[in-house]
Amino acid sequence: MASPVDQFKLKTLVPFEVGGVDLAYTTSSLWMTITVVAVTLFLTLSMRGGRLVPGRWQSLAELSYEFIANMIRENVGAEGRKYFPFIFTLFMFILMGNLLGMIPYSYTFTSQIVVTFAIAITIFLGVTVIGIVLHGFHFFTLFVPPGMPIVLAPLLIPIEVISYFVRPVSLSVRLFANMMAGHTMMKVFAGFTAALGILGIAPILLLVALTGFEIMVAVLQAYVFTVLTCLYLNDAIHLH
Amino acid sequence: MNIRRVSSVAATAFLALVLLGHGATAASSSSGPKLPQLDLATYSSQVFWLVISFVVLYFLLAKLAMPRIAEVLEERQERIEDDLDKAETLKKEAYQVRIEYEKALSAAREKAQDATRHAQEEIAKQSAEVESAAQVKVTVMLEEAEKRIAASKTGAEGTSGDPISSLERSVAQVVVANAVQKLIGVDVTAADIDAAIAATLEERPQ
Repeated sequence: MASPVDQFKLKTLVPFEVGGVDLAYTTSSLWMTITVVAVTLFLTLSMRGGRLVPGRWQSLAELSYEFIANMIRENVGAEGRKYFPFIFTLFMFILMGNLLGMIPYSYTFTSQIVVTFAIAITIFLGVTVIGIVLHGFHFFTLFVPPGMPIVLAPLLIPIEVISYFVRPVSLSVRLFANMMAGHTMMKVFAGFTAALGILGIAPILLLVALTGFEIMVAVLQAYVFTVLTCLYLNDAIHLH
Repeated sequence: MNIRRVSSVAATAFLALVLLGHGATAASSSSGPKLPQLDLATYSSQVFWLVISFVVLYFLLAKLAMPRIAEVLEERQERIEDDLDKAETLKKEAYQVRIEYEKALSAAREKAQDATRHAQEEIAKQSAEVESAAQVKVTVMLEEAEKRIAASKTGAEGTSGDPISSLERSVAQVVVANAVQKLIGVDVTAADIDAAIAATLEERPQ
């Protein structure tokens, strides 16, 4: 029996190399492309009619849009409007990637730590740059909790600094671990089904429930990733 | 489904996963990580395609999809505000119309009351006129009748001194004679009847 983590192996579809660096088009790249196409088609085709009273698809597209618009308004405020396209793209990319990963035989690119970490470190660096550009040296007061007694400074400031620099790690590991664990668990139960023969009906029933649960996790983790990005952005703009 | 049971099954699954992972590494024991995600050789291509996909999606959404959604939402918002404004003006208009209607109604009611009062006065005046005219006529007639009665009385008394005429007397004589004959079977004479009439006339106050 194949290992439950074999599903995360990448297959090279189109070999591609520049200056000795491997840039091959793999299953992960394929599903990123499918995600881009799916999100674009979803958000454009559904709005084609642009009806005053929206249908189902148009409602879904408008709901996604307003969901992120409200998230930014509540967590960042009016200054966050500039970053709306980026945060909306981020949410739709991760959400669609997670959901497409639930299709059997597809590939979940968000289960790759390098992908989630690349997104997270970009957000971390971007947010830090925004903070420094907006506040200059004053930005580093972010590491000083408001109302902190001066005696506690040697203890609290390192904690704040560490927690700040851990952000990209926690952000990326949360998404990666959730996706990997869910898919691995489903594979394990699928393996039980194959091994148990007629009794395999039990793990199949469980798999049905797990599929629903994993779809929820897919949506929830996309939300968590996006909302944390908003909170980090808020910190950089408003410093506490 | 029982949540505790699900979680215990999930824990078992994780244990199985860990064991399988160990088994796989133990069996292969070759070089290379047990998790495909830790294979550093795949990182450059994944990051490369991630950047391309993300940037392409960003521009597709920012330039193509999002303006369209914003436009539709704005249009709807405007339409709703428009409709609300229209409803507000219509409401005001309806209020105005209602006030005017009530004014017109009270004016009409007043007019109707006026007309009724006028008609009643007219009727009262007319009936009073008719009544007084009739009163005058009746008075005149009464006076005339009284005069005539008085004249006939004095005339009758003056002619014979008899309170009843000779025709009346003869009629009375015939009627009484017949009635007495029929009632008690007694024949009365004209003289008897004359006497009875005289007695009756005397008894009756003049």
